Amino acid sequence: MVLHKFGEKLYSGLVSTMTHHLEVISKSIEAAQGGLFLEELNRKWADHNKALQMIRDILMYMDRTFIPSTHKTPVHELGLNLWRDNIIHSAKIQTRLQDTLLDLVLRERTGEVINRGLMRNVIKMLMDLGSSVYQDDFEKHFLEVSADFYRAESQQFIECCDCGEYLKKAERRLNEEMERVSHYLDAKSEAKITSVVEKEMVESHMQRLVHMENSGLINMLVDDKYEDLGRMYSLFRRVPNGLFIIRDVMTSHIRSTGKQLVTDPERLKDPVDFVQRLLDEKDKNDKIINLAFNNDKTFQNALNSSFEYFINLNSRSPEFISLFVDDKLRKGLKGVSEEDVEVVLDKVMMLFRYLQEKDVFEKYYKQHLAKRLLSGKTVSDDAERSLIVKLKTECGYQFTSKLEGMFTDMKTSEDTMQGFYASSFAETGDGPTLAVQVLTTGSWPTQPSATCNLPAEILGVCEKFRGYYLGTHTGRRLSWQTNMGTADLKATFGRGQKHELNVSTHQMCALMLFNNADRLSYKEIEQATEIPASDLKRCLQSMACVKGKNILRKEPMSKDIAEDDAFFVNDKFSSKFYKVKIGTVVAQRESEPENQETRQRVEEDRKPQIEAAIVRIMKSRRVLDHNNIVAEVTKQLQSRFLPSPVLIKKRIESLIEREFLERDKVDRKLYRYLA
Amino acid sequence: MIEKVALHALKASDWHLEGAFDVFYSQPQIKAFTDSRHLEELYSRYKDQYVDMIMADGISVLCNDLQVDPQDIVMLVVSWHMKAATMCEFSKQEFIGGLQALGIDSLEKFRERIQFMRTELKDEQKFREIYNFAFGWAKEKGQKSLALDTAIGMWQLLFAEKQWALVDHWCQFLQARHNKAISRDTWSQLLEFAKTVDPSLSNYDAEGAWPYLIDEFVEYLNENNIIQKGQPIDWSQKR
Repeated sequence: MVLHKFGEKLYSGLVSTMTHHLEVISKSIEAAQGGLFLEELNRKWADHNKALQMIRDILMYMDRTFIPSTHKTPVHELGLNLWRDNIIHSAKIQTRLQDTLLDLVLRERTGEVINRGLMRNVIKMLMDLGSSVYQDDFEKHFLEVSADFYRAESQQFIECCDCGEYLKKAERRLNEEMERVSHYLDAKSEAKITSVVEKEMVESHMQRLVHMENSGLINMLVDDKYEDLGRMYSLFRRVPNGLFIIRDVMTSHIRSTGKQLVTDPERLKDPVDFVQRLLDEKDKNDKIINLAFNNDKTFQNALNSSFEYFINLNSRSPEFISLFVDDKLRKGLKGVSEEDVEVVLDKVMMLFRYLQEKDVFEKYYKQHLAKRLLSGKTVSDDAERSLIVKLKTECGYQFTSKLEGMFTDMKTSEDTMQGFYASSFAETGDGPTLAVQVLTTGSWPTQPSATCNLPAEILGVCEKFRGYYLGTHTGRRLSWQTNMGTADLKATFGRGQKHELNVSTHQMCALMLFNNADRLSYKEIEQATEIPASDLKRCLQSMACVKGKNILRKEPMSKDIAEDDAFFVNDKFSSKFYKVKIGTVVAQRESEPENQETRQRVEEDRKPQIEAAIVRIMKSRRVLDHNNIVAEVTKQLQSRFLPSPVLIKKRIESLIEREFLERDKVDRKLYRYLA
Repeated sequence: MIEKVALHALKASDWHLEGAFDVFYSQPQIKAFTDSRHLEELYSRYKDQYVDMIMADGISVLCNDLQVDPQDIVMLVVSWHMKAATMCEFSKQEFIGGLQALGIDSLEKFRERIQFMRTELKDEQKFREIYNFAFGWAKEKGQKSLALDTAIGMWQLLFAEKQWALVDHWCQFLQARHNKAISRDTWSQLLEFAKTVDPSLSNYDAEGAWPYLIDEFVEYLNENNIIQKGQPIDWSQKR
């Protein structure tokens, strides 16, 4: 027909025939009752498609020639459009179709099983008719209705469920929807419906969930509910600000828990326990972030900044961390494998990094290390050195050079002692055996040297050593540090019981006096030994007033020592051990006054460091204003401590007075370097 | 000739006497001739018995001759002109050299000039120079800083001339809290502080790189409710 120029007639004939036919079909669909409505629609649609195919085949010539040239709608598409206009958009069908589809979805959501295959076909039909048909006739309404549904449901759930249960339900619904889409909806709808669920079930109720009493985020954190937390994380991640809320609440929780830990006066009595709790807290949170929060870096950062915040709330944290290390290196790590030692040390380093006052840590670490080395009480040399290496990596060579010097001195001293005993200086006879550690001043923590009269026998052998040493090292000066030494004494008590007593040098001096006297007053002991009063009192107390270590007897029996108190050897002394340790050379938590003193020394040490930084900066910049100097100095020193702006200002003024710097004549906020 | 110059000066300064003095004395060509014999006489009148310098006694006599109280601040101005190194003494060079530069060779001329010197204190720039000069002049030889008592005395004197409402509080603060010598930087910065910062501290800038002592002073004022954080104080009520 086309060939004979009857294309128009053919085409319009097609249109009218098909239209008419569809009108009939529409009636039959409308007539379908209840559940059969969709089935009928589906069947007729299948038929229509088959028919369309055939028609297109038959009218292929027209499709290829007449239609393009007249810009008319191609046959197949025409067929679809007519279906759309006459069936889907027919007044009696359009709304009914929508309602039926949505009703089925609702029923499925409430637990009924529906005919998914049928749904799929019908939905596919809509999709085939054009995405606008799918969207306008179905998707738009689907989303609206879903939003209402979930809004209501979430409201209901939140009233009766606790946080964990709610999250489970929300997750389930979310999964359902995704499954629904994959079974019978357009894949493009997935993102849209999930965002509806996310909004209604998660976003609208975020705050309430997180803060829910007895079951909210904080409870989950405290009780290590990894599964619930993981669920919360993956759900909240989907909505804007979801993770922010979790992180925010978690951070303030960690900070307040940490702050409590760190300021609780009970905790502060046991430094080792204090630090252990910090480590436990860190481990706990690490595990949560690892298992439930997907190792999320932003959470790691929040954790780190929280720790940094509260660890530095307590000014004694550096001291305590050093005491913890001391405990581990003296006994805690006994028998532990090398790998496990590394694990512990790495954890310590992690806490160390949080410290703002690293210079305070250094001071204590030195003191404690000195005691460990000198009393020979370190569990593993390797562990000690390993920690030094870690500190060096973290803080640079300067931090550890003195510590390394201490180790070197110990080694050198060993060699020196060997040399001494091999030499002519050491005619032993039956004099006391001497073991000397030669400490290089500057590497070791400074102790104010105390007066002390050593017993003659000791003096003698000390002088021999001095002679030997200075013979091989001319130009050096040796001074005996009597407050750092120890002595082992063989003692025989009243009933013949023999013991070997390990005491401090000062204690030894006091005890040796009793070889020549049965009774001595405090005053007499003080005069004879010339040991400073506070030291002497402490060492006498530890020999006379401590149960199990009372090798001396005191009259009166009180704890305090008065000038005229009398001391005797305690003939009745007994101990089940042959070797008795009396001395107190173990590192201990400082008393308040000692702590003040150390802090003062640290403050004094900081002044030259600040000045050096200022001078360095000004030397290179020549002219710089006040605020920038403060910022630069702070940056340069931050790996050691945080200098206060007031302190920096005072140092600047001191440098002005000593004519290293001057103020600019015109702008008083500007400083100039004076060469 | 002097009369002509004087008339010129008076005209230039609109017939205001003080301004005229300024114009007159700042003319570079007025290198007035001084009789060095007279200067020697003057010097020997005041010179100390044992040392070739004018010491405290000599200065008393000088003040008497000038009809000026020895505590009068104008003596500071005199010392400034003479570039005197230390208070209560003038070296021969300082005395004679100073008078020469000023064109003074008699007591009458000196007495006349005193009046002018008082007006110099009113000049902003000159006051600052005199103020800063006072630090080096008032401190002990060989010391870097100025003893607190001396500093307080000087401040009382100087700020009587150039009014500063907080001077008494400043001195009280120092005696209560500081009790140490004053550095040069603090001394000179205090003048800036008095000049630029309002007595109610409303424009005090904590980031203003003021010396630490001045920051402390501000804290002291706030702590003791002398200043109600930036509100102007009613001086009629205080004291």
